[in-house]
Amino acid sequence: MSEKFIELLWAEKYRPRSLKDIVNQEEIVKRLLKFVEEKNMPHLLFAGPPGTGKTTAALALAYDLYGNEWRRYVLELNASDERGITVIRNKVKEFARSKLPGDTPFKIVILDEADNMTADAQQALRRIMEMYVETTRFILIANYPSKIIDPIQSRCASFRFTPLKKEDVIGRLHWICRQENIKCLDDGLEVIYEISGGDMRKAINILQSTAALGEVSVGNVYKVIGLAHPREIREILNLALLGKFIEARDKLRDLMVVYGLSGVDVVKQMHREIFSADIKIPEEIRVILAEYIGEIHFRIIEGADDEIQLTALLARIALLGRKVS
Amino acid sequence: MSHERGIPWTLKYRPKTLIEVIDQEEAKSKVIEWLNKWPNVSKKALLLYGPPGCGKTSLVEAIANEYGYELIEMNASDFRRKTDIERIALRASTSHSLFGFNKKMILLDEIDGISAREDEGALEAIQELIEKSNAPIIMTANNPWNQNLRILRDLAEFVQLKKLTKTDMRSMLMRICKAEKIICNEDAINYIIERSEGDLRAAINDLQSVGEGFSEVTLERTKLLLRPRDKEKDPFETLRSIFSANYSWQAKAVINQSQLDYEQLKMWLEENIPLQYTNLEDLERAFEALSKADLYIGRIAKTGDWDLLSYAIDLMTAGIALSAKNSSKDKYRWIKYSFPQRILLASKLKEIRSIRDDIAQILAYHLHVSTSVAKNEIIPLLKTIFTTDPLKAAKIALGLGFTEKMIEYLAGTNKNTILEHYRELKKRVVSHHRSKPSKSIESNNEMYKESVGLNKNSKKEERNLFAFSKKK
Repeated sequence: MSEKFIELLWAEKYRPRSLKDIVNQEEIVKRLLKFVEEKNMPHLLFAGPPGTGKTTAALALAYDLYGNEWRRYVLELNASDERGITVIRNKVKEFARSKLPGDTPFKIVILDEADNMTADAQQALRRIMEMYVETTRFILIANYPSKIIDPIQSRCASFRFTPLKKEDVIGRLHWICRQENIKCLDDGLEVIYEISGGDMRKAINILQSTAALGEVSVGNVYKVIGLAHPREIREILNLALLGKFIEARDKLRDLMVVYGLSGVDVVKQMHREIFSADIKIPEEIRVILAEYIGEIHFRIIEGADDEIQLTALLARIALLGRKVS
Repeated sequence: MSHERGIPWTLKYRPKTLIEVIDQEEAKSKVIEWLNKWPNVSKKALLLYGPPGCGKTSLVEAIANEYGYELIEMNASDFRRKTDIERIALRASTSHSLFGFNKKMILLDEIDGISAREDEGALEAIQELIEKSNAPIIMTANNPWNQNLRILRDLAEFVQLKKLTKTDMRSMLMRICKAEKIICNEDAINYIIERSEGDLRAAINDLQSVGEGFSEVTLERTKLLLRPRDKEKDPFETLRSIFSANYSWQAKAVINQSQLDYEQLKMWLEENIPLQYTNLEDLERAFEALSKADLYIGRIAKTGDWDLLSYAIDLMTAGIALSAKNSSKDKYRWIKYSFPQRILLASKLKEIRSIRDDIAQILAYHLHVSTSVAKNEIIPLLKTIFTTDPLKAAKIALGLGFTEKMIEYLAGTNKNTILEHYRELKKRVVSHHRSKPSKSIESNNEMYKESVGLNKNSKKEERNLFAFSKKK
């Protein structure tokens, strides 16, 4: 009805709602369907590369267990957003305390990016998982299961999500294009697959952005990628390396005001850029730069001021640039 | 002249006419020109700034006296609340004066003495007074860099008064001595002038305290009674003293004599180090010192331990002064320092960041990702849609329940086109919605807003809009 007035993000619109809609990871889905049937499950650990369906499987499981009102019985936490284990503990406590209607045996806490937690935080999490186990089951989601401490792993049924096959990703993109009446070329979709590295969510997001330009062609895909990754950071680095310190600083200020970037955002983007072939510096200098950037990153998270730290970083880069030229 | 005791000489010898006001010719003519044009002026208020005792208040009083204005005078210590300001405004606007003047002028003295925290509302009241007043308003301040004065920049013309010269001060003190029939020792007068650093009020007070009741002012007694006085350095002098210091104690002493606190100093240094130091190695050393100082300041905030401040100050003063090793002559170069840009940009940056955070929260909720993934992966891609396809962008904005500010952030130069589409679509959705309400979608989004804690107050108004952000 309101379709013609609004548009959703495709990564949301085409996310499988129910386990039955998930076409990949057959073995895992089969096991999860059993949990739904029995209306019982242990704590779960979903591990695997990004965009392989971990979060989708967790949400679909919840949907199949609770139906349309699933959000009432599910607490979604993201370890990289919920700072500190005490915040997590309080949220889980409050969530576990609220009553369950009639026949629902338990509630679910989905903890995404659980491998971002420190070992200490994970120890604390383990206790929380035990404390509320009667009313609450956890689904932990991680890219790297080895970063999850053994005591947690041994308390969870572990599921390894395998990378999606190329034809599965491209097939899905094809299907979405048909639903959306978008013209797509095979090599366009192939490039999207390459760029996204098999990450379905990323692939779908790139597809939607490309479709805004018209047909999904190789040219349009690259255009979108170019637009989405502004060159400013690279330009700032190059200006600094040329010793044009004040210009570099002014450009950095503009960038931060236009995009509202935080110091850590800038530092991370710089870190990505210094290993790109477009920054023409000797290889060993890249490593020295990485150490500088890391030091500044550390100072910022220690509570120092974003802009002063970034400006100091530019001064160092400028000096380094002169030494190598 | 009478010889009665008890009247401060600063009052007794206050100028009655413009000619008696010492120096400040440029300021005089600017003020008179502005006053003559009033109210046909671009800015309805004037702000006279300059060091203490250079004649700001005297200048205004002399002009009022000479040009026949009734002066309605308020001191910063008098007006505290909005009601005080409203009272003056009322007095100024009544047409008849008790004293037979037909023109009125408002003087708000020492305006930089207003504290943003304690005198809440006072600055807003001044703004309002400037906008409404039908009498010219002149304000005075010592420190034009004061944060409080920032909002007045657009409303008032700034006129600078210079520090008085020693010659000017000497002739004034001599005149007073003559009038008071005091024999004046030249060395004593010079000592007083030296000590006052251009502050005539301080000099006259000093002269009175060593001279009144004596027939002669001697250097000996002057030195005995008057100990050297500390003066605050303005931001420019502060920077100059730090950069040019050769010893750590010199540089470290500056922080206690400066108008800038350590937070402000940090920003002034950040802005001006690259202007002073041109050698890249010196520059890097200076910024490394500043960066470490800043790190200590961050640690103070984290630990609450103020003992750490002294390390921060060492690095910010001595650390920076001693960084010029390669090109040490840079230390003494005369530089026109600039006001820290980031103070001007800070509020804008803060607003943009919070908009970005809000967008990320909405995306994180809908796509089940962390806000960091939303910021670094999703927002850039969303931006490409906003820059290439305005209609689609508007539909997405409506679908996700973005505010107009969020749209502006994502759209950049495209914002007007997208906003037009967006408003049009919104109207149609709302009318559509009235005929066909859809319950479950609504409750879903209410839950979202509870979970994220967004727009608690505006829940009701935006209800219709949010009702469509999720398809059943």
